[in-house]
Amino acid sequence: MDFNLTDEQQMLRDAAARFVREQYSFEERRHVAAASGWSPERWAQYAEMGWLALGIPEAHGGLGCSFVETAIVAEELGRGLALEPFIECGVLAARLIETADAAAFADKRGELLEGIANGSLQVALAHSEPGNRFELDGLGTTARAEGAGFVLDGVKMMVPALGAADQLIVSATVQGQGVALFLVPRDAVTVHLYPLIDGTRAGDVELRSVFVGPEARLTSPGTGVALLEEALDRAALAQVAHALGCMEAVLEITSEYLKTRQQFGQAIGKFQALQHRMAEMFVEVQETRSILYRGMAHLEGSASARKQAVSAAKVMLGSAGRFVGGQGIQLHGGIGVTDEYQIGHYYKRLLVLDKLCGDSDWHLGRFIAAQKETA
Amino acid sequence: MRFDFSPEDEAFRAEVRAFFREHLPSDMARRFHIGAHPPERRDVKAFQALLHSRGWGAPHWPQEWGGTGWTPMQKHLFMEELYNADGLDYGWQGLHMVAPVLLEFGTEAQKQRFLPPMIRGDEFWAQGFSEPGAGSDLANLRTQAQLDGDEWVVNGQKIWTSDSAMSEWGFFLVRTDPSVKPQRGISCLLIPMNAAGLSIRPIVSIEGGTGLNEVFLDNVRVPRDHLVGEAGMGWTYAKYLLEKERTSSAFLYFNKRELEKAREIARRQMAGGVALIDAPAFANKLARVEVDVLALEYSVLRVLSNEKNRQNLDAVVSALKLRGSALQQLVTDLQVEALGLHALRYWAHGEGEVIDADEAVRWPDFVPGRTAGALIARASTIYGGSQEVQKNIIAKLAFSL
Repeated sequence: MDFNLTDEQQMLRDAAARFVREQYSFEERRHVAAASGWSPERWAQYAEMGWLALGIPEAHGGLGCSFVETAIVAEELGRGLALEPFIECGVLAARLIETADAAAFADKRGELLEGIANGSLQVALAHSEPGNRFELDGLGTTARAEGAGFVLDGVKMMVPALGAADQLIVSATVQGQGVALFLVPRDAVTVHLYPLIDGTRAGDVELRSVFVGPEARLTSPGTGVALLEEALDRAALAQVAHALGCMEAVLEITSEYLKTRQQFGQAIGKFQALQHRMAEMFVEVQETRSILYRGMAHLEGSASARKQAVSAAKVMLGSAGRFVGGQGIQLHGGIGVTDEYQIGHYYKRLLVLDKLCGDSDWHLGRFIAAQKETA
Repeated sequence: MRFDFSPEDEAFRAEVRAFFREHLPSDMARRFHIGAHPPERRDVKAFQALLHSRGWGAPHWPQEWGGTGWTPMQKHLFMEELYNADGLDYGWQGLHMVAPVLLEFGTEAQKQRFLPPMIRGDEFWAQGFSEPGAGSDLANLRTQAQLDGDEWVVNGQKIWTSDSAMSEWGFFLVRTDPSVKPQRGISCLLIPMNAAGLSIRPIVSIEGGTGLNEVFLDNVRVPRDHLVGEAGMGWTYAKYLLEKERTSSAFLYFNKRELEKAREIARRQMAGGVALIDAPAFANKLARVEVDVLALEYSVLRVLSNEKNRQNLDAVVSALKLRGSALQQLVTDLQVEALGLHALRYWAHGEGEVIDADEAVRWPDFVPGRTAGALIARASTIYGGSQEVQKNIIAKLAFSL
């Protein structure tokens, strides 16, 4: 085992850290969040630096890197609370397109992946529904065969990164075949956008008798859930890396604050109660990094080992994120609960990361199920 | 980054596993599975001799003294297999504390005298650090050693001196110079436990064990050459020890093995007509602790594989101790919880080693030892630097607070 970065990986980390430091100040971020929830200029920079091509195979214009590179960028973007859909589009949608196994879809794959890699195309997954929580199947949205194609009907909610999406990947139930995924142009559906608590833009999608051709179907009969789950696992693990960056930033910001804030005639960092809190937060962050690495170690393994490892990491994201984010606020006192100051924004992002791609309770349940499979 | 074990590592694991399967007597493994504090001296001795016969008596020592030359990853796999086989991880004071200090700072004569009987399992060692007035504040220790001709004359009192009763030798921190600042006046002295003037009073610990002791030193005389290294360097040597044993404070192998025992109990205990392990409330608790153990494993692997961490390494080690010792309590508490009413029975030393078929209906073989283990695990967050001391260290080293 070797947990050290290669020279190339270290350069990638340095570049991402520099980008966040120099181009993504808290004020800059506030401006982007208020305007549209993402920045097309920043997105172009992501593409220019190759971040959107990291996981895409070289045959499709990508860099064909391991997941380690994705995690490195996700973590650094987390430090700066970056708003662009690096995970939603660059990891999740790209993976769904890459692994789509329907023969008729194969011709579209290259063009779509190249579009994502060069930053010209954004794709978002529309999966959650008002009637389901984090389940993968049992969807109310349906796809009915008509002619050679399909007609989609249903309502999707909480589609992350919908604001910037050009295309959607919609999950739907095909009668007798379970869940399948379909590529749907955004202008074929009705979209209701809203901001999330972390400043990004999600939205709901209404599909009213939307017709798509046969080539729009990504998955063969029976494979939809497995492909969806695998891609969501990669996104979930990228979220853990992103959350790790958030938490590291919380430690840094908070420890600095403890050294400057004076009360009772001294820096409050002199008080042991607060020192011990920082130590507890430090342990949580250390352990989150470890469980992230464990997740990466099992990402390419068997499905049950992968699910067990990703769910373990996501469970820890939930508890560590809430603790570190919450105590980051607590140690700041009143300023911590203001919109003006950055620490509360980390808490909100950590809350969003806990919920997207399955929350802690859901992942704990999946962890137990996967444990039984691997036993 | 590379996350897999090499084929050589996997082959090594299989070799270790096979060795224990073939050579560890089942009755001994049963006693170690139950766990006793302390174990019987004859078992400790026999197990050490078994390891030594295979050349594995002290893997971490230099090869010229009987070490194995294993990589950190091989040592990791060895420990994992040792615990899986219900082997014994004992003799810490000698093999892991006295020996590294002797190897680095001792004289050739000291090494020749003390290391061979230690690795063979012929001589055991007690550790005399803590005193009634020097617990977390160890530098405050008062036991004095004064030179009188060619002998040190030692006076004072030690406490929590593990294994005093079963050991031939003690490794004592004593004050040899009261005139300098506390850390500078401490020395390491090797004292035979049967020395005139040395008396031992066992302390019965919370679970009924007698591993802990008070040791009284009343004009105990030991030859001058029983001092290790230089006088006044005891504090430095003690810190050197901690450097050598960075990951052991995580108690990873203990935590993994005891978690497995909790799972096994929960598979066999029934609750409301289903196995307890399938009862959601218990399954969730078990799973949440398991997530922490899995993370701890990778925290250990990160240190073992020499990850270049941006964090201060001593702070990382304190984090391992904090989480690892808290987990010792969590995993053993899970066993107690899984046992239900079975957990409440007191088992005397050695009781429950053999349970016949009739009795096993009422008292399954997984019961003895578990509650005792959970009780003594309350000590895990106190010894070796309490949780509170570890947090002080992290605050200082990671955040400069």
